[in-house]
Amino acid sequence: MIVTICLGSSCHVKGSREVVERLMELVNAHNLKDDVALEGSFCIGQCMKGVCVKVNGELYSISHDTVDAFFEEQILSHFATA
Amino acid sequence: MKNNLCTDIGYMSLTHYGEQLCGDHVEVVDKLDEGSCVVVLADGLGSGVKANILSILTSKMISTMVAADLPLESAVESIVQALPVCSERKIAYSTFTIIKIINNERAEIMQYENPKLIMLRDGENYEIPSSTVDICGKQISLSNVELKENDVFIAMSDGVEHAGAGNKYNFGWKREEIVSFIETLYGVGFTAKTLTAILLDETNKLYDYKPMDDATVCTIRIREREAVNLLFGPPSNPDDCSKMLSLFFAKHGKHIVSGGTTSKIVADFLKRPLTMNLLYHDPEIPPTASIDGVDLVTEGVVTINRVVEYAQDYVGENTRYEEWSRKQDGASIISRMLFEDATDVNFFVGRAINPAHQNPNLPIDFSIKMKLVENLSECLRKMGKRVIVNYF
Repeated sequence: MIVTICLGSSCHVKGSREVVERLMELVNAHNLKDDVALEGSFCIGQCMKGVCVKVNGELYSISHDTVDAFFEEQILSHFATA
Repeated sequence: MKNNLCTDIGYMSLTHYGEQLCGDHVEVVDKLDEGSCVVVLADGLGSGVKANILSILTSKMISTMVAADLPLESAVESIVQALPVCSERKIAYSTFTIIKIINNERAEIMQYENPKLIMLRDGENYEIPSSTVDICGKQISLSNVELKENDVFIAMSDGVEHAGAGNKYNFGWKREEIVSFIETLYGVGFTAKTLTAILLDETNKLYDYKPMDDATVCTIRIREREAVNLLFGPPSNPDDCSKMLSLFFAKHGKHIVSGGTTSKIVADFLKRPLTMNLLYHDPEIPPTASIDGVDLVTEGVVTINRVVEYAQDYVGENTRYEEWSRKQDGASIISRMLFEDATDVNFFVGRAINPAHQNPNLPIDFSIKMKLVENLSECLRKMGKRVIVNYF
């Protein structure tokens, strides 16, 4: 699974770094390093929705407060059912 | 211009403890297109306002006359006759060092009572041969040197040699010690400004941060020209993309691409993949990316904004050198490439307005982009670089 986080100027100011760092922590904590690839991207073109994160082509709007919930719903759940 | 050499000039002063004005002054007249320049370091008698005026008068007058191609001797003669006489001491002078670089091929040097000019060639002390002439009763030393790449000249006022006198050293900081101090720094490849700052820092330290004299250092490095090209933003008309990028990549030297959309366009143009990094070397600066064939790929406004901050500090107090001189974030790397490596900077600025940013609720005002380029080129010009800005 590839998770792409937007690191463009606008998302950066809205807190991309915190999102990236938290996702890295969560991926490590759940031993998903071999299954989930975290990738950065410059501007995705959806600055209003920042911080933008894409999973399987689907765009999500994440913030520092919602990153844990996002991880559980969109990433962890995928592996729980698989 | 016959060779590919140019000068990198940097100077700074420490002011006598308790004084507001510095009694030393450096004046540089740069004739970039001819590869010639005149540098005058003058040390006015005493300290404070009188010394300040004397040194400014001396350096300004000499540099203006010499830059207008008046022979050095005549310029010096005029200044000796023209300086006002101090009412207390009944003498009128300021000591000076004049360095005239001609076609980046040779240097004419005239010195009057300042510490002898230090010159390093291939990293080692080189005693400049000199003769003495009498101008209006003053003994003035005259030299002529052929220039080689990597020659370094260091002119200073006597405040540097007096550092530590009666405190750390009995008789101040001796010339041989200053020379060996600089020799150890030579190999690192510091810029003129940084060498100057390091030397003055040491001076200040020897004075226990209370300089008992004005102290000034002016460094001139002879180096090869090197161009750095920076692409910033896509063109306002999308049809101009390939024109803009062809011109950009046709330029000699290093290439920096700054901006998310811009780097995607470049990756498409070069038909090479764009690889993003996830590593934050500085929490406030977005990670860099890479495209084969481009020396550096970074995010746009946030990164360049930091580069402008570093540039403004560098032309002023130079206190943030420690930050950008070794870190690996995009802004630090750009700063090193622009401030240290480049002698010529070509900006390729695209005026496209990012539709995704056209919303008042977004956290940054993206109209600052043009202002950033203006501020950055102004600073780079102050660093003595040739700057060309192309808009698309």
